[in-house]
Amino acid sequence: MSGTTRREFLKFGAALPLAMHSLSLRAATKPKSFPRRIMFICNSLGFYKPYFFPKTRGDLSTSQYLRDLTTKDKLTVFENLYHPGMETSNHDSEKSFLTGAPRPEAPNFVNSISLDQMLAQEMGGETRFQFLPLSIYNRGWGCSWNNRGVAIPPLHDETLVFNKLFGDEDLTAKRRQIENDQHVIECLKHDMRKLEYGVASEGADASRIESYRTVVTELEKQLEHEAFWLNAKKPDLPNTLSKDPEYAFSAKIKNMLELSKLAFQTDSTRVITFSMDWIYGAIKVPGATGGWHTLSHHGEKQDKLGPLSRIEMDIIKHLNQFLTELDAIKEGDGTLLDHTTVVIGSNFGDASNHTCNNLPTIVAGGSYRHQAHTVLEKPMRLCNLWLELLHKHNVDVGAFGSSDRETRLLST
Amino acid sequence: MRATRLIIGLIAVALIENVEVHQRSLLANEAKALFAKHCFGCHEGQTAEGQLDLAKLLDQSEFDATQVFENVATGKMPPANADQPPAEEQQKMLAWLADQQPKSKPNVYRRISRHEFVHSVNDLLGTKLDLTGQIPEDRGTRTFDSDRRIQLSREMLGSYFAVADVLLEHALPDDGFVDERTWVTNKLKDSHETYNIYVRDFKEGVLFSWTRANNGNSYSFFYDNFDPPVAGWYELTFDAAKVGEFAEDVSIQVHAGKYYYADDRPQPQRLLDVISVGNHQLEPKTIRVFLRPGENVSVHCYCRHNFRNRNPQQGAYIRQMKARGPLQDQWPPSRYAMLFGELPVEMKGHRTREHGTVTKLNNAESIAPSSGYQSNLQKIGGSLFVSSFQQGMEKAKMQDGSNRTFWHTRFEPTLAKPPHYVILENPYRHAIKGLFYATWSGGNGNGQIEKYEVYSSDDGKHWGEPIVSGDLETRLANEQPIPFPTATNSRFIKFLVTQSFSLDGRSLASIGKLDVMVSVDELLPRTTVSIKSKHSENLKHVIRRFAERAFSSNLTDAELEPYFDVATRALQRDGNFVQAAKVGFKAVICSHRFLIAPGEHTTELLAQKATLARILWLSVPDDKLRESRTPLRAQIAWMIEDQRSDRMFESLCNQWLNLRSWNNVSPSLKLYPQYDDLLDHYLPLETRAYLAHLIRENEPVSSLIDSDYSFLNQRLAQHYGVEHITGQHLRKVSFSPDVPRGGLLTMGSVLKVTTDGVDTSPILRGAWISKNIMGTPVSPPPESVKAIEPEHGTDAATLREQIEQHKSNDACYACHKSIDPYGFALESFDSTGQWRDRYRVATPHRGTFQFRLSGYYRLTSDVDASGEIHEQTFSDIFGLKKLLLTDNLKIAYNFAKIFFEYVNGHEPDLKQRMALLAMIAPNDCRMKDLVTDVLVYSLSGDVK
Repeated sequence: MSGTTRREFLKFGAALPLAMHSLSLRAATKPKSFPRRIMFICNSLGFYKPYFFPKTRGDLSTSQYLRDLTTKDKLTVFENLYHPGMETSNHDSEKSFLTGAPRPEAPNFVNSISLDQMLAQEMGGETRFQFLPLSIYNRGWGCSWNNRGVAIPPLHDETLVFNKLFGDEDLTAKRRQIENDQHVIECLKHDMRKLEYGVASEGADASRIESYRTVVTELEKQLEHEAFWLNAKKPDLPNTLSKDPEYAFSAKIKNMLELSKLAFQTDSTRVITFSMDWIYGAIKVPGATGGWHTLSHHGEKQDKLGPLSRIEMDIIKHLNQFLTELDAIKEGDGTLLDHTTVVIGSNFGDASNHTCNNLPTIVAGGSYRHQAHTVLEKPMRLCNLWLELLHKHNVDVGAFGSSDRETRLLST
Repeated sequence: MRATRLIIGLIAVALIENVEVHQRSLLANEAKALFAKHCFGCHEGQTAEGQLDLAKLLDQSEFDATQVFENVATGKMPPANADQPPAEEQQKMLAWLADQQPKSKPNVYRRISRHEFVHSVNDLLGTKLDLTGQIPEDRGTRTFDSDRRIQLSREMLGSYFAVADVLLEHALPDDGFVDERTWVTNKLKDSHETYNIYVRDFKEGVLFSWTRANNGNSYSFFYDNFDPPVAGWYELTFDAAKVGEFAEDVSIQVHAGKYYYADDRPQPQRLLDVISVGNHQLEPKTIRVFLRPGENVSVHCYCRHNFRNRNPQQGAYIRQMKARGPLQDQWPPSRYAMLFGELPVEMKGHRTREHGTVTKLNNAESIAPSSGYQSNLQKIGGSLFVSSFQQGMEKAKMQDGSNRTFWHTRFEPTLAKPPHYVILENPYRHAIKGLFYATWSGGNGNGQIEKYEVYSSDDGKHWGEPIVSGDLETRLANEQPIPFPTATNSRFIKFLVTQSFSLDGRSLASIGKLDVMVSVDELLPRTTVSIKSKHSENLKHVIRRFAERAFSSNLTDAELEPYFDVATRALQRDGNFVQAAKVGFKAVICSHRFLIAPGEHTTELLAQKATLARILWLSVPDDKLRESRTPLRAQIAWMIEDQRSDRMFESLCNQWLNLRSWNNVSPSLKLYPQYDDLLDHYLPLETRAYLAHLIRENEPVSSLIDSDYSFLNQRLAQHYGVEHITGQHLRKVSFSPDVPRGGLLTMGSVLKVTTDGVDTSPILRGAWISKNIMGTPVSPPPESVKAIEPEHGTDAATLREQIEQHKSNDACYACHKSIDPYGFALESFDSTGQWRDRYRVATPHRGTFQFRLSGYYRLTSDVDASGEIHEQTFSDIFGLKKLLLTDNLKIAYNFAKIFFEYVNGHEPDLKQRMALLAMIAPNDCRMKDLVTDVLVYSLSGDVK
C-alpha cells in the first residue's frame, strides 16, 4: 500500500481502489510521511550494572556490554532511573515495569494500565494489529496490562506470531466466523440489557457483570477491526525464522526481534512489547550453560558473573543486531530506526538483590537528539520518562504511574 | 410481606449488634490480659524479641494480626520452653484477634478458569477434547486458578469464542462425520537409516531388540500406511509379545508426531500412552488415543534389561498395528439424543456400520498388504509421466510414500539429456493447491533438485509462463511444500527441473516423493447428521435444555429470549437446524451466566450443586446431580468417588504442589543419564494417584508427610530401587521401613520440580516445603541483602558453607532458619529424586554431546543431610519426617487453609481460620473428612 497512509485507507475502506487514483496523484506531489512506532523490551533479570553502565561518563566504549553497539549515535543510556514502591518486590516488579504501580507483591495488588496500552490506544487504530505483545516464555503475562489492570497474555510461539502477521487465511471462512461471532455478541448484549432493566431472574445482580460487559464491548470492537482488515491482503513474506535446537534461548530472542522488525517494516503494528524472562531451568548460550535465574543471584562471585555475563552479552548481541537492522532499512530520508523508538530496560536494577534502583535503560532510535549516556544527578522516577514518551507520541495526559514532573530527557 | 420481613430482620440485626458490641469489649479486655500474661514478657517495649512490641500493636484500633494469630494458633508461640496457655485461653486470644481483624472484601465473583471452561463444555457436548492449551493461562503469579482477583480479559473471551467453535464443530460437524475405517499395518518407516540396528524383521512383524528411551523425540519408528484423516479418537491395537526370558515387562511407548526422515530438527512428539508387554504369547493390546491429521503413530520400546544391549532375540515383538477410527460412541453419536432429545435424526452418506458395533479383535486376522499406501494423486485418480527413468528407479517410486525409494532419470546405458521433468495429470480437475516434494534420502545426493519451475496446461502441449518457480533444499529429508499462488484445476501440471546437484557434472535428476496438495478432506467418505425440523418451537426447546444444563438453573422464557432470538434468526437465515442450535449453544457458553461464577440459580440448592460441580469436577452438574436429593455430606462423598473428581486432584497437584511447572525443567543427561521419557511421564502420575488415594480412602493427614506406601509401576520402582514390580500399571506398593519414600516430600515429582535440572537447591526445596506443607509463608529477602544462590560447584562442602552464611546475618537467619533445614534433609535426593550418598559433578565431553549410559560425571563429596529446626536436630530425611509428624496440627491446618483457598478463591480470613481450626481433630485428622468439612463450611457456613 505504498503511497497511501493507513489513515487514508481507513477513510476510504472498501472504496479504496477508486480512491487510489487520486491518492497516487497526490502522493507524487507530497513528501511521504512515515508512521512512528515504539517498542518496549524488558529484560526481566536486568543487566549486571558494572558491565552495563559506561565507566567514563558519556563514553559508551567504556562499557563492557555496550562498547560494540553499532548504532551508538542513535541511542541514549540513562543512569539513575527508578520505580518507587518496589522495596520488597521480588520478581513481581516485572508487572510494574510499564505501569509504575507500586507494591506489586502486595496481596491485593491491582495493576494499572501499561504505557504500551496507552500508546496503542493512540497509535494502534490504523494498523492490522493495534499492538503486539511478545514474550520468550509461556506464562500468560508480560509487560502489557489493560485499563483495568488485567494482564494481556503475550505471544510466545514464534510460528504462531508469524502466521498471525503474515500467514494465509481462508478469508471466506474468516468472514463467516466474524459474522457468527458478531451475532453471538449481539445476543450477549441483549442478555445484559435484560439484566439491567431488571427483567432477569430474581436475585440477579447487575454488578456481577460489570467487568464482563466491558470485555464484551472490547471484543466487539476487536471484531469490527478484524472485519475491516479482511479487506486488505496481509504482507507476503517468506518464513525465515531460525531453528537452533542447541541455542534455543538465543534463537527465541532472535526470532522475536526478527518478527518485530518485520511487523514494523510492513506496518502491521506500531506498538510492540517484548518481555524476556526465563525463570526455570538451565539455558545455553555460546560459552555458558546454566540457570539464568540462578546465575542472576551472583552475589558478586566471579564464577557466577562469568556465565551470567555470557548470557547478558548474548542478549545485547541480538538487541544490537535488531537496532542495526532497523537502521539499515531506508524510509524516506531516514531509516526505520529513525521512525521507531526502541526502549530497552528492566524492572530490576540489581537482580541479585531484587532491587529496583538505577534501572538499566536505553532509549534508541526515534530521531531524538541522542546523548549516548545521560547520568541523572538525582535518582529520577522512570515514570517521568514514560510520561515524556507519551507526550512525544501525542498522548495528552498530565501524569503517568508514579511520575512527579515533566522532563526533557529526550530532545528532538 | 417481603418488606415486613426485611424490617423485622433489620431490628433483629440491630439487637444482635448491640449485644455484640458489649460482648466484644468484654472479649477484648479479657484477651488483652491474656496476651499480657503470656506474651508481653518477651514482646514489650524497645527491647522486644523479634522487634515485635505486642503491647503497642494490640493497643491500636485496627491492625493486621495474621502473623500473631498464626503463631498462637499453631503453637509456635509462646515458645516451647515457656508456659503454654490452656486451650480455652488460647481460643479467647485467637477469637479476639479474629474479631478485630480489618474486614477483607474479596471479590464476590470470579471468572471460571480455562480448565473449568473446557471440562464443562466437553461435558455439555459429550466430547472429550483437551483444548486448554489453546487458551492462554491467566493465573499470573497467583497460586490457584480459582483466585477471585483474576479477571476476565478481552483476549480470554476471544479465545473462549474460538475454542467454543472448535468444540462445537467437533461435536456437530457441519460437513458431517468422517466415516470410521480400519487400517492394519506392520510396515515401519524409521526416522534414520542407521537406526535399523534397533529393530529387525521377526516372524510376521518386527522385533524391537535394542531399546533405548532417552530422547524418544529425536528418533523413532513410524507405522506406515496410517494417516488419521481427521482429528478424533482412534483405537490402536498392537498385537504384541515379549521375546526372551527376563523378569521385566517391555514397555511400548506410543507417540504421535509428524513423520520425518534423517532430520536433525524433528518436531517433538506427544506421548499418547504406554503399553506394558509381559506376555510371551501374542496378545492384542488396545489403547484409545486422540490424533490429528498430519500426525503419524510412532512406537518406541523400552526395558532396562535390553537397554542398549544388542541382543537380536530379545525385546518386544509387534506383529501389527490396527487402527480404527475416528470413533463415535454409537451411531448416530449419543450426543444427538442428549442435545436434541426426541427430534428425528436424518443421516446421509456412506455410513454402513451398524448401530454401536465394535469390531472383534482377532489374532488370526490377515496382515494388510504393505502396499496399502495411496498418494494424494492416486486418490484424485491422477497419474504421472516422466522425461526418462532408470531401471529400478521408476516414476511409481515417487508415489509409494517413502523417500528411500526414488525416481531417477536414466543414466545407463545412456545418459538422458535434459530437460528433466515430471508431468502430473489431474483428469477430474480437482483444485490443486501446490506440490509436495521430498529428496531421495540416504543416497549420495546425486540428482537432488536445486531449482525448479512449475507449469500448467489444459492440453499438455501449451505450457505458457511458469506458475511458480524457486529453490529447494538439498540436504533436508522433510517434505518441502511448493504452494501455488492460486489453486489450479488444469489437467496437466509440469514440474521442470532447471538445476540439480551432481557429484560428477552429469545432468541428473532424482526425486524421493512428489505429490499434489489437495484437500483430501473433501474426498473422505462422510456421513452428515441433521435434525429434520424447521420449527423454531423445537429449536427453543433445544436451547432451553442446553441452557438449563449449562446454567444449572430453571429458566423463564424471558431469560431465554436472547438465546432463542439469536438461534431462531440463524434458522431463518440458513434453514439449518443444527447450525442454528450451535449459534445458540455458543452464546450460552460465552455468556456471563456461564463464565462468571457463581452464576444465577433458581434455588439455593442448585447454586450449591453448581459450586460443588465446579470445585470437584471442574464442570457443571449433570442430570443426576441436578436432580439428586442426597444430603450435602453424602453428595460430596459420591462426587469424590466419581471419576470426574480426578480433575480436581490433578488441579491440586498442578497448583498446590506446583507440578504445572513440570516441563519447565529437564534434568541434565550428563548427570542423570537414566532419566527418560517414561519416568518423566509417570512421576507426576504417582503424585496424583497418591493424593487421590489419600482423599478417597480418607487416610490420615499425616500421610502427606509420611506413609509406608505409594503408587508405583515397574519404571518408578526401578527409579526408587524397589524390587519385584513388573508391569507399567500403577498400583499400591508397600515399603519396608528402611525405604525413605512414602509421603509427598520424597516423591520424585516434587524433588524434580524443585530444582533447575542440574543442581539441587536446599533453599528452593526448603521454601517449597515451608510454603506448601508447613504453611510458613516465605517473604522475599529484605532489600540491601546480597542474595546468594549456592551452587554445588566442584566441592559440595562449600554449598553448606554458603548457606550457613545465612546464620551469620540476622536479617537472613530470621526466615532461613525455618526454610533451609528442610532442604538439607532432601539433599539425599538428586535432581531426579533418586537417592544419593555422594554428589555428582559434570565432567566435560569431547565435541557435541553424545548420550552414554554412564553419563559424564564424577562423584565428589558425601551428602550431609543433617540439620536443625526449631531447636531440634535430625540427621537425615527419616529424622526430619519424624520431627514433622510431631506437628500434625500444623500440617492439617495448612492443608485446610490450602484447600479453603482452592475452593473459595481467596485466603481464609482469621474468623474463617478459627472455623478451620475447629475442624481439625487433634489426634486423628483425616483427609476426606477435612476436605468434606471445608466444603460444607464454604458452601453453607456450617462448622461440624
